Amino acid sequence: MFKKRYFTLSLAIVLVLSILAGCTGKEESESSKGTTSKDEMAIKVWLTPQWKGVLDSSEDGADYDSFFKHAAERFSEEYKDQKVKVEVEVIASDQRDELLNVSLNGGTPPDVFFESVFAMGDYAHRGALVPLNDIVDDESKKDIAQSHWNNVTFGDDIYFYPFSQNPGTLAYNADMFKAAGLEKYIGGESDIKTWTLAEYEEILKALKDNLPKDKYSNAFPMGLYALNNQGDTWNLAYLRMFGNQFFDGEGNIIVNDENGVKAADWLKKIYDNGYTNPGVESVSSNDVNAMFQNQQLAVSFTNAILFNNAKADMESGKAPKFDIRLANIPSESGDPLTFTYVTGATVFNTKDEARIKVSKDFVKFISTDAELVKSSKNGVPVRTSVTEEFSSENPYFAAYSANDQYMFNFTGNVPGYGQLRQVLYPELQALYTGAKTSKEVVESYQTKGNEVIETSKADSVIYNK
Amino acid sequence: MKFIKKSYKENLTGYLFIAPQILFFLIFLVYPIMEGVRLSLFKINYQDEVFVGLENYKRLFSDPVFVQSTINTVIFVVFIVALTVGFALFVSATIFDKNAKYVSFIRGAYYIPVMVSMVVMSMIWSFLLNPANGLIPFMARELEIASVNFLGDTRLVLPVIIFVTFATNVGQAIILYIASMIGVPKETLEAAEVDGASKLKIVFKIIIPMVKPTTIYIIIMNIIAVLKIFVVIQLLTGGGPNNASTTLMYYLYNNAFKYNQLGIASAVGVIMFLLTLALSIPQLRAMFKNN
Repeated sequence: MFKKRYFTLSLAIVLVLSILAGCTGKEESESSKGTTSKDEMAIKVWLTPQWKGVLDSSEDGADYDSFFKHAAERFSEEYKDQKVKVEVEVIASDQRDELLNVSLNGGTPPDVFFESVFAMGDYAHRGALVPLNDIVDDESKKDIAQSHWNNVTFGDDIYFYPFSQNPGTLAYNADMFKAAGLEKYIGGESDIKTWTLAEYEEILKALKDNLPKDKYSNAFPMGLYALNNQGDTWNLAYLRMFGNQFFDGEGNIIVNDENGVKAADWLKKIYDNGYTNPGVESVSSNDVNAMFQNQQLAVSFTNAILFNNAKADMESGKAPKFDIRLANIPSESGDPLTFTYVTGATVFNTKDEARIKVSKDFVKFISTDAELVKSSKNGVPVRTSVTEEFSSENPYFAAYSANDQYMFNFTGNVPGYGQLRQVLYPELQALYTGAKTSKEVVESYQTKGNEVIETSKADSVIYNK
Repeated sequence: MKFIKKSYKENLTGYLFIAPQILFFLIFLVYPIMEGVRLSLFKINYQDEVFVGLENYKRLFSDPVFVQSTINTVIFVVFIVALTVGFALFVSATIFDKNAKYVSFIRGAYYIPVMVSMVVMSMIWSFLLNPANGLIPFMARELEIASVNFLGDTRLVLPVIIFVTFATNVGQAIILYIASMIGVPKETLEAAEVDGASKLKIVFKIIIPMVKPTTIYIIIMNIIAVLKIFVVIQLLTGGGPNNASTTLMYYLYNNAFKYNQLGIASAVGVIMFLLTLALSIPQLRAMFKNN
C-alpha cells in the first residue's frame, strides 16, 4: 500500500517538475535568440517590396530581396568589428503596421527596416527608432539634396538614411488612347505628360465612349480604389485638385472648404459617370494595378518603381505588352500635382547597444557603398552623383526633376500619419456609396483627422522632448 | 489540526496531478485575462504605460465605429446562429433515418467546407464577388445584366457575410444533429408512426425536443464563434464600406495592430470576454443541472 502511494506521489512530482523544466527550457532558448553562435550576431532586416534584382530587374532570379541579400553577403564578408549574419525578410506593405506593432509590443522588433519614410514616421514619434545622425557623413550630406534630408528629419534628428525617391504620377496605356482616338493627348515616350483638368475629363469620356469593346472588353477609363489605405497618396492628391492645401501652417487638416468639397464632388462624378472601374469602395490599389497591367484600365496610378516593374513584367512576358507612358495628376489650375516617396533604411531601438551599432553600420554600408547605391536607379536616385551617372540610361530622370517645382508634401510631417491614413478610406467609401455627401465627407475627415493629429502630438516623444 | 494535516496529506497526490493543468490554466488563461483587464486601464506607448482609469471605455462608447461594430456583431450572431440551427435541423431531420450511405454522403458534403480554411473560403468568395475583376460581376457585365456590388453596398454586405459564414460552418451543426437524432429511441418514433403522426409532427413533437441539449450546445458554441468573427471581414470587406461590416473582433484587431491603441483594444477584449461569459452561463447551468 505504502509502495503504491509512494509511486503515485513520485509520478505526480515528476510530472510537475517536467512541466516546470519545459517552461525554464523555453526561457533559456528565448535569451539566446538573435545569436547563432557565440561570436556571430544575427540581425533582422525587413523590407517591403521595392525593386527586383540587385542592380536591375532583368537579372536572372531577380526578386524583391535580391539587393539586400547581396548587400548582406558583402557586409558579412567585409565587416571587421564582429561576425554578422544578416537575415533578410520581405513583408507585405499592407501588413507592415500589424507586423511591426506585434513585434514591438512583443519586444522583438526587426533591427533594420527599409521602407518609404512617410509610412514609418510614426515609429520615430513613438520612440521606437534610433537617430542616425552619427552615421551621416558630410560627403553624403552634400550628395543628397537638403529637401530629402528634411523629409527624414523628425525634430532635430535624422531617422532614415535616404536611398532613393519614388515620385508618384499616373500611368496610361497609349495603345488604348490610340484605339479611342486620343492620339493628340499622348505624350512623348520619355515625357511625363501634363493635361489640364478639362482635357483629362475629355480623355475619360472618350475612353468610355470610344474604346473598342472587341479589343478591350471589360475595360474602364481610370483606376480608382478605396478599400484600404494602400495607395492613398493618390487619393490625397485628387483631393488637392481644386487648389486645397490640405494642411495649415500648424499641421492641421483644412480640407473642409469649397475646394475640398469640389474635389470630392469630382471624384464622385467620375465614378457615377462610369469613368472608373466599378465598385471603387471595395477595390484595392493592388486590384487596380493588376487591372491596368491586364489592359482593363487605360489610366492608373504609378510610381517610379511600380512603373519599372510593370515594364519588366512586360519584357519578361509575365504581363501583356503595351505602350505604357507617364502623365501627371491634373489640377484645375493647370499645374500638375506631384509628390515623392523618399525611401531609406531605419534602425529600431532594440535596447541592445551592440545590435544597434551593427545595424547602424549595416545601414551606413548599404546607403553609402559606391556600388550598392547604384541600385537606387531602380527608383529615382537621391544622390546627385548616381543621377548623373545614369541620366543617359534613364531619360525619365530629367522629366522627374522638371516636376520638382510642383512637389507637395503629402504627409505635412504631422504625427499620427499612420492612423490618419485609416481615417481617409472609410470616408471615401461613404462618398462612393452615397452614404455621405461630399460636404459631409470632407467635414467628417477633417474632424476625425485633426483629432488623430492632436492625440498623436500629445503622445509624440519628439514633440514632448 | 491533526485531521486537517491528515486530509491534506491524503489529497496531496491529487493536487500534484492537477497541478500541471492548473499551472497551464493560470499562465495561459487567467494571466492573459487579468493582463487584458489591466491594460484596458492604461494608455500604452512603446516607451511607457500611463494609468487612465476608465478613459479607454469612455472613448469606446463615444466612438460611433465601436457602436456600429457592436450592432453588426449582434446582427451576425442572431442571423448566423438562427440560420445554422434552422437549416441544420431541417437537413438532419430530413435525412437521419435514411440509408446509411446516403447519410454519410450528405454529412461529408456539408462537412467539407468546415475542413477548408476560412482564409481559403474568403479568398474564393472574394474572387467571385470582387466588383472590379470578380467572376460574378464579370459575367454580369458580359451578359449585360445590371451588376451589383455585393461587397460595396451597405444593404448587401451584411447578408453576404452572413451567408458566407453560414455556408462554411453549417456542416458542424449537421454532423452533431444527425448523431443526436440517430440516438433518438426507435420505439418512440415507431410508436408515433403507429399512432398516425405525420412526419412534421414527429419532427416538432419528438425529434426537436429530444435533441434539445444538442441545440443548446450548437447555439452556445456558434454564438461564441460568431462573436469572434474576423477572417471573413478582414479578407472580404476590410470592414467596409464605411465601417458597415466592422465587427467587435475586427475593431479590436485594428486598434491593437493597425492603430497601436493597445489600451482601447484591451477594453474591447474585456467587453467581449464579459459578453461571452454571460452567454456561456446558460450552458454551464445546463451542464451542472444534468450532473
